[in-house]
Amino acid sequence: MTHSIFKSIKLLNPATNFYQKVNVVIQNETIINISKDLNLEKFNKDNQTIIYDCEGLTMSPGIFDMRVNIGKTENLKFTQITAAESGITSMAILPNQTPNLNNPSIIDHIKRQSEDINLPKVMVYGAATKDLNGLEISEIGLMSEMGAIGFTNGNKSIKNSLVMRRLMSYATMINRPIIQHAEDEDLSGLNQASTTSIRGEMNEGEISTRLGLIGIPACAEVIIIERDIRLAKLTGAHYHVAHVSTRDAVNAIREAKKSRLSITCDTAPPYFSLNESKLLTYNTAFKLSPPLRSEDDRLAIIEGIQDGTIDAIASDHRARSKDTKAQPFSAASVGASGIETLFSLTLDLVHKKIIDINKAISFLTINPAKILGIDSPSLEEEKVADFIVFDENEPHTIKQENLKTSPTPFDGKKIRGKILATYINGQVAFMNHIFKNKIIK
Amino acid sequence: MNKLFKNNSEVNKFSPVKLSSHHLLAIEGMQKTEIQKLLDRADYFANLDKHADTKYLSGYVVLNVFFENSTRTRVSFELAARRLGAEVINISLINSSIKKGESLLDTASTLNAMKPDLLIVRHPHSGAPLLFAEYLSCSIINAGDGRHEHPTQALLDALTIKRRIGYLEGLKISICGDISNSRVARSNIHLLTTMGAEVRCVAPSTLMPSSLEKLGVKCFNDMKKGIKDADVVMLLRLQNERMSGTENPSEREYFNFFGLDETKLSLANPNAVIMHPGPMNRGVEIASALADDTNRSLIKTQVEMGVAVRMSIIEALNHSKNKT
Repeated sequence: MTHSIFKSIKLLNPATNFYQKVNVVIQNETIINISKDLNLEKFNKDNQTIIYDCEGLTMSPGIFDMRVNIGKTENLKFTQITAAESGITSMAILPNQTPNLNNPSIIDHIKRQSEDINLPKVMVYGAATKDLNGLEISEIGLMSEMGAIGFTNGNKSIKNSLVMRRLMSYATMINRPIIQHAEDEDLSGLNQASTTSIRGEMNEGEISTRLGLIGIPACAEVIIIERDIRLAKLTGAHYHVAHVSTRDAVNAIREAKKSRLSITCDTAPPYFSLNESKLLTYNTAFKLSPPLRSEDDRLAIIEGIQDGTIDAIASDHRARSKDTKAQPFSAASVGASGIETLFSLTLDLVHKKIIDINKAISFLTINPAKILGIDSPSLEEEKVADFIVFDENEPHTIKQENLKTSPTPFDGKKIRGKILATYINGQVAFMNHIFKNKIIK
Repeated sequence: MNKLFKNNSEVNKFSPVKLSSHHLLAIEGMQKTEIQKLLDRADYFANLDKHADTKYLSGYVVLNVFFENSTRTRVSFELAARRLGAEVINISLINSSIKKGESLLDTASTLNAMKPDLLIVRHPHSGAPLLFAEYLSCSIINAGDGRHEHPTQALLDALTIKRRIGYLEGLKISICGDISNSRVARSNIHLLTTMGAEVRCVAPSTLMPSSLEKLGVKCFNDMKKGIKDADVVMLLRLQNERMSGTENPSEREYFNFFGLDETKLSLANPNAVIMHPGPMNRGVEIASALADDTNRSLIKTQVEMGVAVRMSIIEALNHSKNKT
């Protein structure tokens, strides 16, 4: 019977609003003791106890990354391992992979494939419409029974209003959210029939004009959100907007929340950290969907994070091969890696005094769990030991060459906060060398 | 014009221009003095007899790489390079390597392995020449990239105006037509505003790019207002191949509101000149008779100046590379 003791660690547990320096003891997969005064005798009988000196370090529930694309450059296991190294203990993956996650057996298959108890749990969004075509509703009831936690068309918007209405209505029966990538794809020139001559490439404005790239007007986002809010009102569904990126969208969601509709949303680090001016050199690492917006939009996202209009922060991970990015901007693929930088970029909001650390960790842990109706992770005695240990002040520089996934839009960014260890079911899923040196016995 | 300036100008004419870069990717960001020197040198070339010995660049290898159709620009670059004594190879890559699935960078590095001194690139994607410049060791000239820039066209337009009117500063220049899809418009806006001209852009609202006034121009949806008192009226081609069909009701409606005819032109400065980068759609952006009016139309001069301007640029890039 091995015990691991985390001595003098700051335990941050948003579920119980607990943030104190304590000693935490885990045994097998369970947290067995949280106390201010450590009775070593009690846990040190068999000499198999490992004690970590955690002075200055923080323990919190592991991150639940609620938006991950598994692209062609990755397989599920690789992404799980990378996620564990990044402090993620659960992640929800989008249905737009090959093949589409659009039927109950494939949902079941993914769950079984990812059952390794030492790696992050994988949860699955089912395709809201068959083949993500936006026309016919897929078997969301059966997929739900197999464990699909929500339904979405992934990186495509659910465009047809009748289809959206039916989806929302049906989803109320199974008590699952409909997750929307909000973009009017006719307006952005990105509907399937659009010719290349009008396909939106970046946010519309002075910079798109200077670069001669095709602009996507910011209102393409809120147009869909406003319609969907009305449909949510009509149907009573839980509607979740993914990766919110504009001021108008934040405003619309803020208003809708006042009328007690079941509406939630998330954003991703690029939308509160960067703006469209990054594109001035045609750097394709910044080619994202939704596109990087104006500085005013970025500030609105931060306001939304501060006042709780925005509920969660997800990585929106969409890694791309170097080959598809080393292209002229118009021809390059859309998306960027995210899981490896999610934690430190969210913590950056704390260092910039935008939100406190309790809130930052909530955005990454209990809030996504609440949105998706999953048991909120909580670090208490007798609970499962799924947690991370981090140094919130450890300075480092994000460098593409040190990352396993590409491209990062944050190459060269100086940042503070580093994951030192990730525990899943009481087992070490990741531990870096700094933490290994913290063993005092 | 002050004396000092004149003297400088004289010096510029007889020696190659040195630029801060050995690429010409865009007008945006270029210094006024650099533009001035290139124009002076081009003016010198334009005055030379076409048989004059200007073969300063023997052994210099130029690849004319066109990923998009072009006749006048390609031929103009080829003539310019040949008049400087360079060796020119034309490569048309419209669809060929793209169809075979080769990436642009693979194509580029293949060409680079042949050790050219200069790559002249036209590409349908904005920013593509910048990508070449990042990965290749030779000089790059942007011969038109997507909707971004067409710097040599702006330089030849400026030379054409200077030779007719004498100066650029303070001129009222109206650029009219499909601004949204035009790289010529963007390069001209940057060049002419840098040189101190008053630039107005005239387009239907559907072809006026977002926030264009932030580039230092005045925007008009009414052509009559936009060309009032103009010294130069520059017309642009409707680039139907870059449109979705939602921009214009019809060509005849376009001509009615945005086509240059005698009535609209009468509002401009009585001595106003007409320019067009070509190819023209007669009866769409310009009345046919006006295009052929040799007193007002500088369209043929523009083509002629293209060779001189490109000679000055090719020579300057070689000079700038050797000296850096």
